[in-house]
Amino acid sequence: MFANMLAVARRVMNQLRRDPRLIALSLLMPTAIVYMLSLFFEGVDVPIFKPEQFVVPIGAFIVHFITYALCAIVLVRERTSGTLSRMFISGYRPVDVIGGYLLAYSGLALVQSLIVLIGLSLLFDLGYSIEVFLTLGGIIWLLALLSITLGMLASNFARSEGQVFPMIPLVIMFSAFFSGVILPIDRLPDFIQPVRFITPMYYANNNIQALIDSSRAPIDLLNGWGGLLLYGVVLLGLATYTLREQ
Amino acid sequence: MTAIQIDRLSKHYGKLAALDALTLNIEQGEIFGLLGANGAGKTTLIKLLIGLLKPDAGTVQVLGLDPLRQARELRRQIGYMPQSPVLYDDLTGRENLLFWGRAHRLPDLQQRVDATLALINLSARAADPVYTYSGGMKQRLSLACALVHRPRLLLLDEPTTGVDPKLRHTFWTTFREMTTAGTTIVMSTHQMDEAIYCDRLAVMREGRVLACDAPAGLFASGQSTIEIETDAARSRHQVSDYAAALPALLREYQLDAAVRRITVEHEPLESIVLRLIGENNADVR
Repeated sequence: MFANMLAVARRVMNQLRRDPRLIALSLLMPTAIVYMLSLFFEGVDVPIFKPEQFVVPIGAFIVHFITYALCAIVLVRERTSGTLSRMFISGYRPVDVIGGYLLAYSGLALVQSLIVLIGLSLLFDLGYSIEVFLTLGGIIWLLALLSITLGMLASNFARSEGQVFPMIPLVIMFSAFFSGVILPIDRLPDFIQPVRFITPMYYANNNIQALIDSSRAPIDLLNGWGGLLLYGVVLLGLATYTLREQ
Repeated sequence: MTAIQIDRLSKHYGKLAALDALTLNIEQGEIFGLLGANGAGKTTLIKLLIGLLKPDAGTVQVLGLDPLRQARELRRQIGYMPQSPVLYDDLTGRENLLFWGRAHRLPDLQQRVDATLALINLSARAADPVYTYSGGMKQRLSLACALVHRPRLLLLDEPTTGVDPKLRHTFWTTFREMTTAGTTIVMSTHQMDEAIYCDRLAVMREGRVLACDAPAGLFASGQSTIEIETDAARSRHQVSDYAAALPALLREYQLDAAVRRITVEHEPLESIVLRLIGENNADVR
């Protein structure tokens, strides 16, 4: 069952290996943003403002944005070039394509997550224990995997690269406003608050805040790890189901 | 044994009828050519045969299977070469072949890849990225991807475009070997000099089959010019069935010793096809 998935992953990794510029940009970009973040927070001199509460969720958001946008574009390119159709004709199934891409990009996502977290720790002198650091890395990595899947889901509704571009800011704006990073969600109008459940940043931010801010009330399972995992399962199912063979 | 059974198959793109109640049977082990202008419905038909499109009406059976409901079972047994080479340009030729071959879980994949690369004369460039290939080389590699798992049915959308005559000859030798072993080949083509190698041809226009016959049958439906040259004169006769017309013409000369030369010129296939399409145009109007 996994042989075809591994074949797709192997092929995508081969392509990534042949594109050092993409890998360099994917790793340099978050590093540069993290550095700019440190310059920005250095200039903010408000006593009640605590950068350490914001920087890790913002770091997670950077990884979320880059992996989501990258995968949405890459998969739609497979569709427009005809290779996606040819894969299905050759016997690959939607689950092989989604799973293969997820496997192939998981390595890049892991390196991105670690770079962002190490950068933030050094620049903001966060001083987390190894246990907290690794758990935060795990959350950001999991968020990156969900973002890859979300990118593939979005690309399933686009027939060209032009069509996928409007979906990028749409998803990213939802993530920014409904994750609770910028504004507490309970300050939003009641009717719009449930939107938070459709963005993976909401669950990731809840988990991150629970780890770094001990003064916060503990979150329930469904809004934390459970929500993140359940979200992943539902997203994988949707991405696979909507990847049409015809 | 019938490899493909098509019964009143229709497909519309909006108001445009890409296929219009098309009925066709293709036998196992034959090379079946689809001829027609752009937009005649050839590519749509091929896509319906592999289950990439859903028909609006009619039924189709490919190797005894429904291309939509039994797609997975069918796709293991078919090879498809699209009109333009669909390859990963950043991968090498060998990596491309390995990737498409892996889908079929072949135990001897490496050997088959080597053999297929040799067949298309690309062994020396197998380790180069595809973006360094010429158009013809990409076309060859695209064909190789369809052949690597030795399918029972091969669907080729204009397979020899951009391929030099020598290699085209190699392709046709391979196609013949494959059909002798029982493989069925369906190909769309614009190249009339190539179409005559098919066992049967269907001339298509606006999603309908205007004529379906062996190339010899289509030639017979065409015009022939018989030129008889004697010591004194030269006469030209336009006939539609030269085999039947020739004896009658010769009778006039009673094997006259003065007859020096008899030339028979057949109407080229291209002209027959164009005339068929043109006549149909007139009908439509």
